[in-house]
Amino acid sequence: MLEPLLLLAQSASAADKLPSPGIGALVALIAFIAASVWLGTIAQRVVERSQFIKGYFQGNRGLGAWTIALTATVQSGGTFMGFPSLVYTHGWIVVLWIGSYMVVPLTGFGVIGKRIAQISRRTGAVTMPDLFRARYGSPAAGLVTSLLIIVFMTIMMFAQFKAGAIVMKIAWPGTGALAISETVEPEPAAAAKPDAEGKGSGDWLKAKWKEVDKVYLIGLAIFALTVVGYTLIGGFLAAVWTDLLQSVMMFIGVMILVVLALVATRGLEPAARKAVENVERLALEKGKSPAEAHAIASQYAAGPGLRADGTLFLPLTMAFSFFCFWPYAGMASPASVVRIMACKDTRVLRQSIFLLAIYNMCIYLPLIMICICAKSMMPGLAKPDEVIPRMALVLTEGFPLGLGSWVSGIILAAPFGAIMATVSSYLLVIASGLVRDVYQRFISPAATEHELRRLTYVVMIAIGAIAVALNVFPVKHLQTFVVFSSGCAASAFLMPTIMMCYWRRATAAGTIAAMLAGAAASSALTLTGLVIAIQKGKPSDFHAYELLGFEPLLWGLSSSLVAGILVSLITRPPDEKLVSKLFDAA
Amino acid sequence: MKVRPEDPVLTSSRREALLVFVIWLLAASYSVGVCYAWGYERDAATLTYVLGFPDWIFWGVVVPWSGCTLICFVMANFVIADDDLGEEQAETSLDAASPAQEAKRA
Repeated sequence: MLEPLLLLAQSASAADKLPSPGIGALVALIAFIAASVWLGTIAQRVVERSQFIKGYFQGNRGLGAWTIALTATVQSGGTFMGFPSLVYTHGWIVVLWIGSYMVVPLTGFGVIGKRIAQISRRTGAVTMPDLFRARYGSPAAGLVTSLLIIVFMTIMMFAQFKAGAIVMKIAWPGTGALAISETVEPEPAAAAKPDAEGKGSGDWLKAKWKEVDKVYLIGLAIFALTVVGYTLIGGFLAAVWTDLLQSVMMFIGVMILVVLALVATRGLEPAARKAVENVERLALEKGKSPAEAHAIASQYAAGPGLRADGTLFLPLTMAFSFFCFWPYAGMASPASVVRIMACKDTRVLRQSIFLLAIYNMCIYLPLIMICICAKSMMPGLAKPDEVIPRMALVLTEGFPLGLGSWVSGIILAAPFGAIMATVSSYLLVIASGLVRDVYQRFISPAATEHELRRLTYVVMIAIGAIAVALNVFPVKHLQTFVVFSSGCAASAFLMPTIMMCYWRRATAAGTIAAMLAGAAASSALTLTGLVIAIQKGKPSDFHAYELLGFEPLLWGLSSSLVAGILVSLITRPPDEKLVSKLFDAA
Repeated sequence: MKVRPEDPVLTSSRREALLVFVIWLLAASYSVGVCYAWGYERDAATLTYVLGFPDWIFWGVVVPWSGCTLICFVMANFVIADDDLGEEQAETSLDAASPAQEAKRA
């Protein structure tokens, strides 16, 4: 769920008829787009005052505590989207599942933050590959990092374009749909199959074009133009500021909703009791015996929880795994690392820890309360992904001056902001990978600033155009690639980054081995999961294989660590001069 | 041969990183341990509620979460040292040669 594919939950069933979001959602989206473009133009003015590469890709190392705290680890609002549905469906056990966010502020900034900020200054590094290259004096280490980043992030980013387009589509008044989900494959139009009978590809294309949903296409075009546009003009700062804006909006929305929900249910305890009663009642209505229904209700109120297929939601091994997963999965992601590199000083890092701690507590615990209240108020939602927008609509119904529509508009627009922020930061990391780490490093080291600027713009427009082209006829099972890429990316970079910061004896070969081993272990488990799902005849239900019951990230990180240490030890020690520059007092 | 002392930023960062690791390990052991012992396979009828949360969630997650937020405050204000990150250096040469080769050339 780190960088999830956000997809459309199909329109509400007749049983779930509720008030319509009205014009509020659309207005909120338009306001959000306008604000993003405005932030882009302000960022552009700042960038123009500095050297292009450092200003455009890193904001001249000027980020303050608020921007670092609310954007470096809270990169994708995706967590907020899949998470409420899990609480609504599985109950209190999900609190333990997400509980490790209590230490994310510390792990996110306290483990590698200061060293990354220092090494990047000492070496003049602007991107993550720059860091590895400079630390080991190895172009190969830089190149491997660049290639891995470009491949993984491109796949994840393309998927987000589809999600962005779909949000635009469902914000249109009267579509009836209310939420995006991570699991439902969208069907903007019935998929056309290539005609095997021998018709020309032109005919096939025409047939397929006819079946494409035009509202989806307009959404795709607006989304792509906006996000590529403001990122292109404002660079890194535009991406970070938009991200900050969506984090603040999310915070305001959640705060309003939790108060309304607790007032409506007269407190959390009555809601919690009622929610458990509702689960038991629904189970009885579905024909379960009283004992079975009581057992199901107990799993909602206690651990380990039940999945729809009857398997356990969070057995002990997975409970431990998730305590590793959230703190460590995103810690060394390229988008996070580059933001930490951009911090102003160590004071900013310190303040970020506390700010993020408060933010996490004020987002996750209230979200849990809202979802438990929702289970007590409307227990039988056909689409659990809609739980937050539905609560927003129900709780604000009857507000004077159409205020309800505005409040629900903010809540509905938040996922859009989150997707835009994610795409924007990925777009920059990919563009910097191609322009800085490949073109400037290997093809044309003497390139002028003007040349680099022009190339950056061309690359961004090209990436945007490819993303749009690939999403005109959305690829089925794109989720597969997203799961694959996010797993590999999380496994590949953490151990090499820690080695870079703290281990003098680490070598370039060891680092490359650690990256490849992490990615390979993660790929192997993902592919195993896919094969198992195909054998069961449900390829879209697949998840990475949990060897011995542990989350695949743990295996990826372990493989990466072992490979990194072994290969470092058997290869020639690094140049002492280089090591001394970064490990010894000046 | 004169041995140069370790970089003070490295020393303080490593100390803080180890401290964070210990805090994570304690939080993980406590939360998973308490929730597993007290909340797994529990009959819903036996639950009591504290501030609206089921007892096992309150003591297993909400309390340590509040504790960790407090720890973050203490760490941010009293434990983590402010260090000079140094002046921004000119970036290393942009061609593909390694610094060792550059040194030779110089």
